[in-house]
Amino acid sequence: MKPDLRVRIGGLELANPVGLASGTFGYGSEYEDLVDVDRIGALYTKAVTISPRPGNRPPRIVETPSGMLNSIGLANPGIEAFIAEKLPALRARRCAVFVNVAGSTEEEYLEVVERIESAGGVDGYEINVSCPNVRHGGLAFGTDPAQIERLTRALRDRTRRPLIVKLTPNVTDIGSIAKAAEAGGADAVSCINTLVGMVIDPSKARPVLAMGSGGLSGPAIRPVGVACCYKAARAVRIPVIGLGGIVRAEDALQYLLAGAKAVQVGTGTFVDPRCAISVLEGIAAWMEARGLARIDDIAALLRD
Amino acid sequence: MPFVKQFDAEIIENRPVTESWRELVLSWDGLAETPAPGQFLTLRVSPYSDPLLRRPFAFSGFVGRAAGEAPRASVIYQIRGGATRLLSELAPGARLDAIGPLGRGFPQPGAEETPILAGGGIGLGPLLFLASALAEIGEAPLLVLGLRSLSLLPRIELPEGAVLCTDDGSSGFRGTPVDWISRERPESRPSGGGAAVRIYGCGPAPMLAALSGLAGDRGWAASLSAEQWMACGVGACMGCALPRSGGGFLRACADGPVFDAGEIDWKACL
Repeated sequence: MKPDLRVRIGGLELANPVGLASGTFGYGSEYEDLVDVDRIGALYTKAVTISPRPGNRPPRIVETPSGMLNSIGLANPGIEAFIAEKLPALRARRCAVFVNVAGSTEEEYLEVVERIESAGGVDGYEINVSCPNVRHGGLAFGTDPAQIERLTRALRDRTRRPLIVKLTPNVTDIGSIAKAAEAGGADAVSCINTLVGMVIDPSKARPVLAMGSGGLSGPAIRPVGVACCYKAARAVRIPVIGLGGIVRAEDALQYLLAGAKAVQVGTGTFVDPRCAISVLEGIAAWMEARGLARIDDIAALLRD
Repeated sequence: MPFVKQFDAEIIENRPVTESWRELVLSWDGLAETPAPGQFLTLRVSPYSDPLLRRPFAFSGFVGRAAGEAPRASVIYQIRGGATRLLSELAPGARLDAIGPLGRGFPQPGAEETPILAGGGIGLGPLLFLASALAEIGEAPLLVLGLRSLSLLPRIELPEGAVLCTDDGSSGFRGTPVDWISRERPESRPSGGGAAVRIYGCGPAPMLAALSGLAGDRGWAASLSAEQWMACGVGACMGCALPRSGGGFLRACADGPVFDAGEIDWKACL
């Protein structure tokens, strides 16, 4: 029997649990020739801020053992250009579209969501309170439960669409942060965003990235992500969406076994644009081989 | 915009052309979009997670589908780190996950422009492809190649009349291609237009900055191919940013890698 891959985030049903992570898939059109995006459950856009942001000075990326560091700096055209230039194509997508929203003040987050609410055409929001690469990139929100709860509540008042809060692993207890998002009215939390890292070039005696440090992603962070998901899933009743280093179906299954209801593929898309599709196919095959009917049945298998 | 494709390529040849340079020839079945000189492909050199990211390589040549034969693309690369070391160890018959053609290539020279191709080190690759494409449309482009020393001269056929420059004077002109062009082509663009030069450059950042400066001084056009670390290669991640003249950034992968000299702040790339 073919397994039922549908998952629910708030009032929204996704066709399957695999998403394309924010910042790794642009606004969906860049990979047009290489990936059938409509087979994916959800697309999470590159972060959108109120004003255009050129991003950080280069070099912005460097490869690390089984991973990479990035310091893009939330480069994006700003809400106005996003609505005019990116939204029309996103509206036409058959997969669910979540706009990743970033800001440096509560007002900025609220304004971006309000503007998109009036424009319409997206399925939900992923609130980025975890970008490590800009001075006021929301990480101040992301590490403080009280601020997370307040921001989430304010956003909750402005939209009925699913609200996902994207959590940083750069905290002592991710469970308490997830609880704060839930208390504020979030429909789900996604974890994890990147870990802060630095590479220094000894021959030049200076950091490789122009900004010094950046966000670590890729298979190197997968065990951290799985542990965070495990913890978050036991702290809240809302769905947890797992990401961090997923390149194969087995990686996604680790997250689903840890209690995640859905997953996102990020850096894996850079390695192979078809990564998310093969992860999806692998999850379905794994479930079918074990006679599992629903995604929820996976987490029930975990023995710990 | 040409159609970008991911394909399973077979290694036909992976031969040393200097101690640290290799010429890689790939072939693949199925539809093939013809790459333009200056465009690149990305290769996944290992199925494992280290090295993780795909690596970009500029095409150094392309032979389209001939009767019953699959297309063949070549790249010339330098062994610089773990990924290129692994690539150099792959034998003919091995298969590689390839994506291309990617990026914006070199523009054609204008009707009154004389093309001069200036390559530094491994920057030679895309210029060889450009030289053969220009020869096909009846141009006789001049290639000026700069190397540190004669011992680094690749075992590759260079276009007729190519000029060799070496930093140490071990062969050819002692100095850089920029030095040679400055001395041998003193003419500026005549005021009011007319015959002029278009520089095509590919090489290390200081060379591109110097070529941009020279072209600016002489009133020449210049199309320069830039290099930057890339993650996605298709314009999605914004990782390969280069400083744009007048502020902001351009993406090496999707806006380039070939830029009009005036588009980029080359000095800020140093």
